[in-house]
Amino acid sequence: MTNTSHEVVKGPHHSGDAAPIALSAHSITKRFPGVLANDSVDFDVRAGEVHTLLGENGAGKSTLAAMLCGLYQPDSGYLLRNGQQIALSSPRAGLQHGIAMVHQHFRLVERFTVAENVVLGSRDLSFTLNRKTIDEKVAAVAESYGLPIDPQAIVGELSVGQRQRVEIVKALYQGAEILLLDEPTAVLVPAEVEKLFENVHAMTAAGKSIVFISHKLGEVVEISDRVTVLRGGRVTGHVSGRGSTDTKELARLMVGRDINLSTQRASHATGHEVLQIRELSLASEGVDILSNISFNVHEGEMVGIAGVAGNGQRELADTIAGLISPTAGTISIGGAMTTDRGPIAARELGLAYVPEDRLGMGLVPSMSILDNLLLTRDRHIVVDRASVRPEANRLIEQFEIKANDADHVARKLSGGNAQKVLLARELSGGRAATKLLVVCSPTRGLDVGAIETVRRLLDDARSAGQAILLISEDLDEIMSLADRILVLYRGAIVHETSGEAAQLATVGAAMAGLKTEGAA
Amino acid sequence: MRAPFRIIFEQRSETPKYLAAFVPLVSVLAALIAGGLFLMATGYSVSETYGNMLSDGFLSSSGITDTLGLSTVLICTGLCAAFAFQMNLYNIGGEGQLYLGMLGGAWAGLALGPHLPSIIAVPTVLLIGAGFGAAWIFVPAFVRSRLGTSEIVSTLLLTYIAASVLNHFVYTPNSYFRAPDVSFPMGRAVSDSAQLSAIGDTRMYPTFFLIVALALFLFWVVKRTEFGYRIQVISDSPRAAHYAGINARRTTMQVMLISGALSGLGGATLIVGEFGKLDQGVLLLGYGYAGIVIAALARNNFAAIIVSGILFSGLRVGGDKLQITTDTPIHIGVMLQGAILLFALGGEAFRRYKIRAVRMQAVAQ
Repeated sequence: MTNTSHEVVKGPHHSGDAAPIALSAHSITKRFPGVLANDSVDFDVRAGEVHTLLGENGAGKSTLAAMLCGLYQPDSGYLLRNGQQIALSSPRAGLQHGIAMVHQHFRLVERFTVAENVVLGSRDLSFTLNRKTIDEKVAAVAESYGLPIDPQAIVGELSVGQRQRVEIVKALYQGAEILLLDEPTAVLVPAEVEKLFENVHAMTAAGKSIVFISHKLGEVVEISDRVTVLRGGRVTGHVSGRGSTDTKELARLMVGRDINLSTQRASHATGHEVLQIRELSLASEGVDILSNISFNVHEGEMVGIAGVAGNGQRELADTIAGLISPTAGTISIGGAMTTDRGPIAARELGLAYVPEDRLGMGLVPSMSILDNLLLTRDRHIVVDRASVRPEANRLIEQFEIKANDADHVARKLSGGNAQKVLLARELSGGRAATKLLVVCSPTRGLDVGAIETVRRLLDDARSAGQAILLISEDLDEIMSLADRILVLYRGAIVHETSGEAAQLATVGAAMAGLKTEGAA
Repeated sequence: MRAPFRIIFEQRSETPKYLAAFVPLVSVLAALIAGGLFLMATGYSVSETYGNMLSDGFLSSSGITDTLGLSTVLICTGLCAAFAFQMNLYNIGGEGQLYLGMLGGAWAGLALGPHLPSIIAVPTVLLIGAGFGAAWIFVPAFVRSRLGTSEIVSTLLLTYIAASVLNHFVYTPNSYFRAPDVSFPMGRAVSDSAQLSAIGDTRMYPTFFLIVALALFLFWVVKRTEFGYRIQVISDSPRAAHYAGINARRTTMQVMLISGALSGLGGATLIVGEFGKLDQGVLLLGYGYAGIVIAALARNNFAAIIVSGILFSGLRVGGDKLQITTDTPIHIGVMLQGAILLFALGGEAFRRYKIRAVRMQAVAQ
């Protein structure tokens, strides 16, 4: 078999029903232990269109995409490429048929240049690399799709958006006609998303097919020619026509019921300062991670920390929780200093902490819900599980955790239920009644139904007078929940605004370091 | 066109309960079959050899008591290995800690024994033996918990040093531990008050019951106490331990010291039991290494170690007697131990994966 990259997709008639079907999947079924990930799913994508796979986490969209590009093989069902049946035993086989996936987590060698990364894995390389030729070829491919990129730049020095562009150029260089983009916007700031969508349009204009995988309704409506909605491994709906769909309808198809994600911002006056941070700095191995941060969080107030991942958010949360000692500055909770006193001292002053990493940090995966409740509490020398069990059962009921009983192992909980267990433990207090809740990316990876619940729980906690520090990469979440927004960029607070006055464009620009995309 | 079959390993979402007992049993059976093939290939009768081993190791009255007697030290070294393994600490130097336990026990028996009544002398020997075992692992434990230095290498290398230390005290003329007035180098017998007498006509000592009780106690400690809870959190997710303010360094230190003490205790049971003196013969017996296999077969379950310790002990007793009663080489017993370890480790795959044959690419036409 030779590759099909020489195949010509004709001219400007790239949209509409006239374009031929480039790739189709027919009654695809894939089963994993205990899960029917795809249940006779049909899907097709035409040349020159954007066809979105929309669904909650666990709906089976990534599984389907993995089978479309050869990463997994279906248990039953088949694929047609330009009407011909194909069997993809590996991603390389997929590539030979012009199908490539751009993964959510990039697979790039950080120390290599852009061009080196792009040609990595190509089979037509000579033994010695002629850098000049390669650089020119890579630049030519990139430019022809309006993806400006410096072939000689070191990947490790590029922004996330630029790295994603390298991945896309790599797929195009390898002759991809069909690109599967797996949650491509999850890691991008708003300006980068806009740029990505421009690139997507340039590619479809050139006759490429894009399979766009997402669970964010707004962007799906904006970018898609057609949308296929998956729920529980099955197709629950097809919608076509760009912009003509309303998000409520898509949400209903996705979740199976009506959803309300809007929350009431606190209207009541906020109380005393609960968390006080003064001139906090943290350096590690000579690198400044946090520099000179000062802010307060009051009773009944939710302060949101916005920022692109890796700008010090995780370290800020860990420092407040007493897991890391700052290089300089002070932290106090309820007026008492907690700097350098460790996590237990902070908890005794009313700290609760929901880390970003639920299983593995917040929860012990092999342990039961009951034992996980004990994790941040005072345990006696002989652990008295019997006395905790009634409380565990009460929390399971109160937080609507779907579990057989308190002995249900954390690993076997869904993402949403694991998060509920974590919130149940942290909100119900342990060593002291909870005064301050530090919560990181509380809804990341959760399905819409669980997002709704988690946001309601945070809202309730705020109404109950707890101070909340919400750290999230999801700007929409922060914009809709927080009373006050601080933007963290390279470890410093670069922007502050009230929740009502916040402008998406301004906050987005601050997240990107006040530079517009492309100028970098 | 016929689609070819392929074998796929499918990860289990959950290990069925029955497999937990089934896999070790099958491992032992498979090892016996492998050993049987070897016996056949080398011209020995399988049924006769295994029959003898079974009766000499388990069924005859002298066989079973010998087995239980030997199992005392093997359960100790098994507990030693499992106690560290459960927290992903690979103390494979139980052998060396056993030698030191014997040395410490012998010292206590020689120096303190004469001044103490038996009821105090025997526990003293056991405790000091355990203390010496813990002391021998102190440096590996310290560097592991502070600097993350591999305990695998450090504990193993210390075993060779421990062997030399033991030899030194037995061979050096005028050594405190060496029997005087005997030209052949051998240990000096500890005082009578520091020795237990065997139960009745057997080679079994009351320490067996003590060690079984200890194994059950440790089982309880791990399941029910805060210390056991901490061990579980750290072994599963060190980051969760950090998050909860659990001091992993200190727990690492504690777990390794207890592990060393358990092997040391095993060494001391030899002093109050069948050896009664520092004896270089122990260097050839590999009790400490056997503990690793015993722990693996029991999957670090302290109650199951009692069973796997007795099983191993029986294989050794039966194997040793083969040499005396028939011309079958003694090594068949050792070989079976090795085979059991291999099959037990291989059996892990069956616990974690379902193995299925499927047709390639079922195609709908």
